[in-house]
Amino acid sequence: MLQFRNLTRAYELGGERAGVFGVSLTVPKGCLAVLAGPSGSGKTTLLQLAGLLDQPDEGAVLLNGQEVSSLSERERCDLRLRHLGFVFQAFNLVPVLSALENVMLPLHLQGVAEAEARRRAERALDRVGLADRLHHRPGQLSGGQQQRAAIARALAPDPLLVLADEPTASLDHAHGGPLMDLMAELAAERGATFLVASHDPAVIARANHVFRLADGKLIEEEHL
Amino acid sequence: MILPRLALRNLLRQRRRTALTLMVVVAGFLALALAGGFMAQTFQGLSDSAIRGGLGHLQVMPPGALEGDEAQSLEKALPDGEALAARLRRDPAVAEVLPRTQFMGLLSSGAKSVAFLGTAVDPVLEPKHMACLDALKNGAKAPGGAGSRWLSADPSAREVILGAGLARSLGASVGSLLTLMSTTRDGALNAVDVEVVGLQDLGLRELNDRLLTVSLATAGQLVDAGSARSRLSVVLKRPQDTAAELARIQALLPETSVKPWFELASFYRQVKLLYYAIFGFMGLVLFLVVLLATANTLLMSVMERVREFGVLRAMGLQPGQLVALLQWEGAFLGLFGSLLGLAATLVLRAGLNALHIQMPAPPGTSHGYELDIHFVPMVYAIVALGLQATLQLSALFPGLKAARLRIVEALRHV
Repeated sequence: MLQFRNLTRAYELGGERAGVFGVSLTVPKGCLAVLAGPSGSGKTTLLQLAGLLDQPDEGAVLLNGQEVSSLSERERCDLRLRHLGFVFQAFNLVPVLSALENVMLPLHLQGVAEAEARRRAERALDRVGLADRLHHRPGQLSGGQQQRAAIARALAPDPLLVLADEPTASLDHAHGGPLMDLMAELAAERGATFLVASHDPAVIARANHVFRLADGKLIEEEHL
Repeated sequence: MILPRLALRNLLRQRRRTALTLMVVVAGFLALALAGGFMAQTFQGLSDSAIRGGLGHLQVMPPGALEGDEAQSLEKALPDGEALAARLRRDPAVAEVLPRTQFMGLLSSGAKSVAFLGTAVDPVLEPKHMACLDALKNGAKAPGGAGSRWLSADPSAREVILGAGLARSLGASVGSLLTLMSTTRDGALNAVDVEVVGLQDLGLRELNDRLLTVSLATAGQLVDAGSARSRLSVVLKRPQDTAAELARIQALLPETSVKPWFELASFYRQVKLLYYAIFGFMGLVLFLVVLLATANTLLMSVMERVREFGVLRAMGLQPGQLVALLQWEGAFLGLFGSLLGLAATLVLRAGLNALHIQMPAPPGTSHGYELDIHFVPMVYAIVALGLQATLQLSALFPGLKAARLRIVEALRHV
């Protein structure tokens, strides 16, 4: 499904060389995979490369066997729009849109008709337990509800791959665990692949695959 | 239609800032639209005074009448002007033809003589189409002007109406007896005794100091004009057709030169150019103020939404769509600003006009006028379009800045 081939992306951070160096790994289709490791281990960098938000210095990213990291800006945009979903640590919902409108946003950008977009967004929000919060703005939702809305937004367009960067980091334990349960359920139910960057043991405990990173290198791969 | 919706919501998110930006646009609209209305009043007043001051819509004259030193003599005249006038009166587009004879000479009170420029007019037709009675009414207020009346229709009456300044320089008043001296077409000196029946204020000091008006019969006797006329002032039934009728009538009368009023009214043209220069510069400054103010607002808005733009780009929004988003924001600011500006302009215009403000006499003229800012839809449309273009331009730089953001950096932005 998702493959990194000898991937290197280096940058300067506080005067030191950071990033990922020569990472190769394969994330199978339909699994909940976790990139685990301490801060600065390269989790977010790998996630950004997988999400085509950044380009590697060396190596390649393959999605369904197709090399995608060297595509043009326009092609990468289009690929993100149609096949990738993102969940961020800080939720990053558009504050001026309601939960429903936030979930409809990627569908609108894809050109899905209004009625169809509304139906799919309502279904996605219902699935994450926010059927009674459709018209609430992000500021009117709790952190857990915002992250659920963000998951609904990522899933509504039926992506091949959902990338989540520390999705539970802004939530307390009582909300983080159920959120990960929900992501695991959705991965199994929809056959979508989830790649999550996290150092939260509660997240790692729910994963099918764990890729452990340290200092920008893959040091261990576990199949659970 | 998600981009317009997003743009509108973003503007509503920062209500105070949006309100301030709208106020800048409204102020720009207000200033430019009111200035445009004031200009329209001025141009209308000047064109009316030029047309009704004797030019008519078209002037028929002999070729070359405006060249050389002979412009005021009958050496360059329409040889059978009266016949030409009669022919033109039969034209369906023509409302009236006013023959005029122009001459110059000396006006003497016995003790003192002053050079004059004389215009001879038809005393019956002239008041029907020209503003001569208004000039007479204004002249009646001048010293010695009391009891002013228009020229008698009696062809045997020898009467004159003097410019107020000309009367002053001779110490003449209504009822004074003066002598007009000029040369005939043959070059002989001739004189006619005339009675001052009125004073006229033509609005321009230079004219008031030199101009006098007599009947065609009086001038005929003085300069032996016969049926020759210096010019024919043509009043059209449809003034808006002046340009078209000019070409047609010129084709009908190839032996003459036909000129539209706006080519002959040099004061009108000079004022128009001056106003265009003044208000053009003012408009440019206002557009620059609006441009900088709105660009600053939109740029601030972009800087506050860096992370949001990063998220939108991560979701697959193309850089060009971010530019479009900012363009929509500029478009809404322009649209709402112009609508509010239109409302404010209409209210302020009505208020100012209701105050009946007396404006001072413009340079070179002898009396002021009442402020009456015109409603000119074309000016409002041009101002609205200009402001809209300015807003789109001001949104371009912030839009390009947003489009150039690196997604990973934008997502990290705090």
